[in-house]
Parts: sequence; C-alpha cells; structure tokens
Amino acid sequence: MTLDGAPDNRIGEVVEAGSTGFTAECYALYGAPPLGSLVRVGDPAIYGVVYSVTTAALDPGRRVAARGADEPDEASVYRNNPQIARLLATHLQALVVGHDRLGTVVQRLPAAPPRIHAFVYCCDAGEVAAFTEQLDYLRLLTTASVPAIDEVIAANVRLAAEGRPDAGAFRQRAANALATELASDVTRLNAILRGIA
Amino acid sequence: MALDLYRTAAQIDAAVARADLGAARERRMDAVIAALRDADASTLNARVEAAQGLLAFLPAEAVEPPGAVFPPTPPPADFSVVAVDGSHIDVNRHLPLRCALVNIGGCRLTYGSAPDAELFSRPALRTTDADLYLQDPASPSARQAVEGALMGLVRTVEEASALADAVEAGVSTPTLALLDGTLVLWELGGELPPRGRFPEYVRQQLLHDGLLAALDRIRAAVRPEPVEGRRLMAVASYISLPNSAEVVNLLRLALCDLDPVGHCQVHCRALAPGGRRCDAAHDVTDRELFARTLAPGERSAVFASRSPVARDAYGPHRVHFFYVNVGEEIGRVELPAWVADDPALLSLAHALVVDNARRGAGYPVALQEAHEQAVVTGADREAFKNMVERALEGRGLPVYTSQKQRSKRRPWV
Repeated sequence: MTLDGAPDNRIGEVVEAGSTGFTAECYALYGAPPLGSLVRVGDPAIYGVVYSVTTAALDPGRRVAARGADEPDEASVYRNNPQIARLLATHLQALVVGHDRLGTVVQRLPAAPPRIHAFVYCCDAGEVAAFTEQLDYLRLLTTASVPAIDEVIAANVRLAAEGRPDAGAFRQRAANALATELASDVTRLNAILRGIA
Repeated sequence: MALDLYRTAAQIDAAVARADLGAARERRMDAVIAALRDADASTLNARVEAAQGLLAFLPAEAVEPPGAVFPPTPPPADFSVVAVDGSHIDVNRHLPLRCALVNIGGCRLTYGSAPDAELFSRPALRTTDADLYLQDPASPSARQAVEGALMGLVRTVEEASALADAVEAGVSTPTLALLDGTLVLWELGGELPPRGRFPEYVRQQLLHDGLLAALDRIRAAVRPEPVEGRRLMAVASYISLPNSAEVVNLLRLALCDLDPVGHCQVHCRALAPGGRRCDAAHDVTDRELFARTLAPGERSAVFASRSPVARDAYGPHRVHFFYVNVGEEIGRVELPAWVADDPALLSLAHALVVDNARRGAGYPVALQEAHEQAVVTGADREAFKNMVERALEGRGLPVYTSQKQRSKRRPWV
C-alpha cells in the first residue's frame, strides 16, 4: 500500500539512521511494505531490507486506549474516532544491505548512513530482480543481530523469488548462498530453508 | 526531603475528618434540590431585581424554568466539532530576552458519512513592544505589560480568534465550535478604580476588539439563510469540574424567608452564618446540585450570567450557560445569547457536547485533541529557554540569569 498519488512507490521518510540500519515513518497508517521487502532511500541510493514494522501512538507520551467496546466492528472504531488515524504512525526498520556507487550496486555498507528525511521508496519487481542478481547482501542479513532475523531472510528470499520468472532457480541460488554463510549452523540453515520453500 | 509527607498526611486526615461531608450536608442538599424543583423563573428573577445591590452573592438569571431537565436530541447524521485550546510561556525575567510564547492548538473532527480529522498548532513568539504591551491610544506613555493575568487573557482572545479562523475556513456540516474554559473575562469586570483591575483601553482591546470581535466573526460565519437549508453552527465553551454556584445562589432567594427577600446587606450583617434558611446552600456548588438531578446525557435549564462584565458589555454574546451530565461528571457549557436563544443551535450544542464527551470517555474528545496540540510541556519550556539562550550566544550577545535561578538549577551543600 502506498500513499495515494505519491510518485514512484514513495512510502515514507527516514527519521533515524545509522550505518547498519534506519527507521522510516510511513506516510500512510499501516503503509509499510511487507516484512523482508527491499526498499531504496535517497540519492545516491542506499538499499535496505525491512526487518520490523511497528504501529503506535505518534506521541510516545500518549498511550493508545481501547475504544471499541460498544462498536460492532473495527472499522467503526476508526470511523467514529477520526482523529485516531492522525495520532498513530507506522514505522518500518530496515537493515542496510547495499548502496549505489557510481551507478553500480554494491552489496556492502555505504560510507555514510542515509540522511534524515531522505525519502523511502518501495523497490519494484525490476529493481528487486536487478539487486538480487548478486546475493552478497545475505551475509549482511545473516550476521545482523535483530530479533527473528531468520524469518526476515526467508521472507526476503520468498518475495524476491515471486517477482522473477526464474523463481525456482533463484530459490536454489539463494539456498546455496545461505548454505555457504551458515555452514557451521545447520539447524539455523534448515529453519531458513524451510521458510523459503 | 523538603516536604515532610508524614506530617502532611496527618493534617490531611484531620481536615477530612472535620469536613462537612456527612448526613447534615445531605439534608442541606435535599433542601436545595427541593427549592430547585419548585423554583419559578419569573418569581426568582423579580426577587433578584428587587434586591439589586443588596445581595451578598452573585445569582444567575433564570431563562428557562430552573428545575427543568432536557434529554439530548440525537446528533445529526453528519457533523463536525471544531475545538481550540492554548498554552503559553509567560515573560520570564530570568531570561535575557524579553519574550513570551503563545501556542494555539486545535482540531476539526468530522463524523458521519465522510469521517475526517484535521489537527493544527500554531506557535507565536511575542517579542516586539506591540506583542508585549497593550498601548493606550490616547496616551503614548500609558501601557500595560502583557504578562501574568493579562497574558492569560490575551491567550483566551487568541484562542477565540483561532476558532473564528477555523470556522471561517469553511463549515460544511452542522458544527459545534468549542472553546475550553469560561467565556466570561471576569478580570475585565468589577467596579474598582476606574472600572476594574485594568484600564478602559485594556478592556476595549481584549474584550470588544478581542473576544467579542471573534464571537462576531463566528456568528457571521453562520449564513442567515432559511432555517431548513442553513448551515447550523453553535459556539460554546466547556468547563470540566465547574466550581461556580450561580444557580445555587439564585435558589438562596427561594430559600430566604426574610422580608424583604434577599436584602442580605440589611438583614444578615448581624446574623451569624448557620442560622439563616439560605445557609442550606452554603458551600454547595451548581455541579453538586445537578449531579443529583440530571441523568446521563441530560442538560439543566439555561441560565444567564449576571456577572457585571458579561451583563453589561457582551451585547448579543451575553453569556448563558447550562449544566450537562456527560456520564462521568457534570460539565458546564457556556454559550452566547444568540446560541442559547435559538432552539436549533441550543439543541445542537447540547447533543454534540454529550456525543463528543462520550467519545472522549467523559471529556469532549475535540478539546482533548486541541489541548494535546496546544500543550507546552515542562520539557518544551526548558527547550525553549535553551533555544533562546543559544540564539543569543550565536550572535555573541550576553546570556545571563539570576543568581536565584542559578542556585535552584544547581543546589549545593
């Protein structure tokens, strides 16, 4: 889901950034792409994989209260409290998996993190296919210490495969790359591979 | 520890034990409620008029039968509530730059077939002489510094003016325009020299050119079209946990058995409190009274304020009010006369206050959101101070603070 009328799959902008990852606020409530999606930030581009999506009160000092005890369904909670949508925000967190260097995608960390307020775009099938021609970025994912990263890796490979004509061959190539990275941890490798299949 | 909480707690316990909250108070309340049920508007109003200048308290004017109770009408299918609130950082002599900040926040919540919400906040730094002083046009040397109570009044005027802006920007559905707090600028009334605490030009600028001009704009935003086709818009202000006793004071004139009724200054000077019939009303607020007579959603009769400023200066905006049971508490809704006198607008104000308070778990949600947009927190105040200091330092200007402030910031042993 993207903001209506926003050009080029623009979904939000960076509100916190570091060398290995960034957080972006989505323009639309619940407007984050699926877990594991490839996103692009700024110019020259920095690429990230979405590893966490949260929706919470925009103001950390205000707790969200239950409002639907007398409402027939969830939609009427929003309809009868139109301010809610303005008081909540969806944030995505992404791990940096590559950047554009002189027109070439390099699957390593960039020299500097994305700038705050840099626009975040959801990569289309063509961009995903081009980026996943190389799979060096999987090493940046397998070595990241974020919760449930294996689920994120599996989701990322599944999404990348779905958009390609050679889905089966791509899955095999990704499995091989992961096997190389996780040769010493077969249990973990198997868990990821089961998620890809 | 600076405050000895153990001793404080013991004093609180003793005070609560002394407080008159028991059976005797219940009996007094019963007498006041009985007076409300039997009250006749014209009799009581006539008694107030006859006792003019001799009363020891300020009674309301009854507009509807005082004991009447009105259930809310259902809200229209589509409607909006526009609310504005404000917050400010007053002039601080510990800051090297003479300045104040007024932050006006508000929202427009639209309900029904096309639900929508718009939130806004508008900070305004006041730093020029025109911002920080009210100038007497007749005398270049006479001016009043806008700070303290006067800053509070200026903020109220800014809130009303922002509400007028919001309403003028367009009203497409039946709308309630809502302010927080009272519409009566009490501070500008009174008979003290020469006409209250503040000189006449302050009253002119804040009341006539300020609040009343904003209310004029709001009134003009309601197109004078035939009743059926017009855009309904009511303006009101909402007071949570009101502490006033104007209706109870009116009932004192029903309870009074002295002759002539209500000539307190004549009869009661020598009487010790407790021996008069109207002492049943002692210390009783309107809120407590209506908490016992209004069911959830219901409103009281409409009354008009007899405060000197609201009576003499407000013209078509003379402040009227009713109490309403919003479920969790008794709130006070103040309305200009032109809203209170129009049954459709009065009923809209009542219905939408009840509806919006229900959505806000006992307090109108539009006012909650306006407050959230306007609020200046302790952290914001500190940040504001630092920003001012940093801006001065950036230009190489001296930054100083008082020694008292410095000692508070860094207490030493």
